[in-house]
Amino acid sequence: MNSIEEKLWEYIDGACSTEEREAIDLLIAQDETYRQKYLELLALNREIAEMEMDEPSMALTYNVLETIRADYAKKPLKAAIDSRIIKGIAGFFVFTIAALLIFMLVNINWSAGNTAVVPALKLPDLKVFLSGSVVKGFLFFDVVLLLFLFDGFLRKRHFVKHS
Amino acid sequence: MQSKLSDIELIVQTLSGDQSAYADLVKRHQRFVFTLALRFAKNREDAEEIAQDCFIKAYRSLALFKQESKFSTWLYTIVYTTAMTALRKKRVDTTSIDDEETYIQIENTPSGYDVNNAENKSRSFYVDQAISQLTPDDATIITLFYKGEQSLEEIAQTLGIEANSVKVKLFRARQRLKEKLERNLKHEVKELV
Repeated sequence: MNSIEEKLWEYIDGACSTEEREAIDLLIAQDETYRQKYLELLALNREIAEMEMDEPSMALTYNVLETIRADYAKKPLKAAIDSRIIKGIAGFFVFTIAALLIFMLVNINWSAGNTAVVPALKLPDLKVFLSGSVVKGFLFFDVVLLLFLFDGFLRKRHFVKHS
Repeated sequence: MQSKLSDIELIVQTLSGDQSAYADLVKRHQRFVFTLALRFAKNREDAEEIAQDCFIKAYRSLALFKQESKFSTWLYTIVYTTAMTALRKKRVDTTSIDDEETYIQIENTPSGYDVNNAENKSRSFYVDQAISQLTPDDATIITLFYKGEQSLEEIAQTLGIEANSVKVKLFRARQRLKEKLERNLKHEVKELV
């Protein structure tokens, strides 16, 4: 590396210490070769600093914003939902169920054996609910739901095939 | 007309959903980003594509900008990595900074001698021409230092190297630029004679 040039560049950039600066000042004043080199580098420095920057096309900003807009318009709702919220809700339910299970297991009287008297349970009369019109209505609803799901499935398959 | 707000104020507005604030940021930095992209790309179209890509990437990661450095430093890091990736994709040879024979030539930079135009050629034309003949690394360091208003430390952050290495690389890049400039000017003088 050329040490004279290196020092002179540091001097021009203002990157040298006060002592170094004073020493170079002296060299420039006394040494003609040094002075010539300094002037040459100074001129080059000025020319580089004065170089023009290139101008992009006027459409650049518009293209950037259009891409951003299109990007956000395409984003599905699923992706827009913060996954941390979903995980939080799931965590809450897991915690609640686990807490209930633990509470239940702790409160069971394991020494009770099979001597406990099971109270007679009175079951509701199901015949009332299973009357002809209720069953028919239920089946009709099921059929409609099935057809709806089947239609959705066929549409999806059709879309995949043609895309 | 460009906004008088600072980069940080524009970023805050952009993050609160104001896309026109981002348009102002793009307008403010597009010339430098494009110039930097041109140091890597072979032509203006590719450079514009890189510049566009950089601004889109910056928008997507704007929330991650920690304001520990200047926005420009952060943006130029994106430009540098994007341009390097684009360059690798295009399989353009980007050999070591020490390889003086390797350079890229911008397609639309006039390289031939034109007698009628010779008098109009300013020194800045020759500087531009010489810069376009440097390696992308050399040209980038010079552009960042002189046009990006970046300190050696900020350039080091952008390029992911030590500040001392930047100092050495800047020195070598300027040396090579001087050589190219002298060679080009010598060639022009010969043509004139």
